[in-house]
Amino acid sequence: MTAITAASKDLASCHLCYKLAPATEHHCPRCGSTMHLRKTASIQRTLALLITASILYIPANVLPIMITDQLGSAEPSTILGGVVLLIELGSAPIAAIIFIASVMVPLSKLFALFYLCWCVEKQAKTSNQQNTAMFRMAEFVGKWSMIDVFVVAILVALVNLGGLMAIRPGTAALAFAGVVIVTMVAAESFDPRLMWDQTEENNE
Amino acid sequence: MKQTNNNDSVNKQSFLVACPSCDLLADTSHLKHGETANCARCDHFLCQYKDDGIARSLSYSLSALVLLALACSFPFLSFKASGLESVMTLPQTALRLYDYGMTELSILVAAFILVIPLVILLLLLAICIPLYNNTPNPMLVKTGRMVFTLQHWAMAEVFLIGVIVSLVKIASMATVVLGISFWAYAGFTICFTLALSNLDRVQCWNAIEHLTAEPSS
Repeated sequence: MTAITAASKDLASCHLCYKLAPATEHHCPRCGSTMHLRKTASIQRTLALLITASILYIPANVLPIMITDQLGSAEPSTILGGVVLLIELGSAPIAAIIFIASVMVPLSKLFALFYLCWCVEKQAKTSNQQNTAMFRMAEFVGKWSMIDVFVVAILVALVNLGGLMAIRPGTAALAFAGVVIVTMVAAESFDPRLMWDQTEENNE
Repeated sequence: MKQTNNNDSVNKQSFLVACPSCDLLADTSHLKHGETANCARCDHFLCQYKDDGIARSLSYSLSALVLLALACSFPFLSFKASGLESVMTLPQTALRLYDYGMTELSILVAAFILVIPLVILLLLLAICIPLYNNTPNPMLVKTGRMVFTLQHWAMAEVFLIGVIVSLVKIASMATVVLGISFWAYAGFTICFTLALSNLDRVQCWNAIEHLTAEPSS
């Protein structure tokens, strides 16, 4: 099957308004955003951002995400500590949500994007359909990891009973927000069309 | 919004779309009201044609704006334990973080749950009103660019799930009461999502192009 792509017709598609224009154009004739046939230095940028996110992921998990002050004693809790506590308290479903949103999703997103970059770099023979689905998943779950940061923000604002009980935010919350934002930008800078370009070349 | 009636040949050209995910070309000019186009090769969603997309987006944006105003002006949640009570409002989610010295985090939270959604709503109105009335506006292109750039960064729905998670987290410690603001924010999230999803990227930009090109031709 020879697929008719925009690139094969020497057309570039505007990433913002989807306008098709000759690949030689630097700015979209319709909306004025910068135009590229493929995103510039896509793999390098994505990898750089992924490494940043991986480094940020360490303080996000090691440092406390929130500190509970109860009757004069301060009790710091990390992300995983919070999950364990929730299981002990008997709310397994919520523990599962937190575990999936703040541990599994960011980790699998990092691994998925690393894997996709590796596939493009090494020109690995993999299924494009599958890889595209994986990329779309990584892109979709992007902002959902932010749940944990919002939970901290809500608890801090809500639980404030003076000396009796209060919740303070921990440094990990900021690091974790950083992980989410950086991986979102990483997913945005990855160009899934690079995967399909290879099959085009292989067919020829 | 009857683009197909006039300038048919020009519009046929602009309904040709390259899949953003695999670059395959697709012709979307045959779409009728309510029909969606997906990429034939990788199944990526391309666009959905609606005769009244702009009108829908406009009405949902207006409702969302009213609900957001309500959500900011009433108590969001209240927390009672041992005879003591603390009440929080929506802006306090960010403000309290600031009080604890986490300025960056408070700015991020405020941006994701309030500021960016508000800016998007205002920009949506700035796009939909001229498109609905067919009045050319020099700001349309800039506004359109901002809406489609910002839309990934609004996290109202994520925040709402966060609220539900925190409710369950602390329900065992004390009594938590949902305020008017909570329901207003839930309604806002729904209207906001609908306002954005009814504004189809391809259709919207074709309409903007059509409207801004008119005076010169």
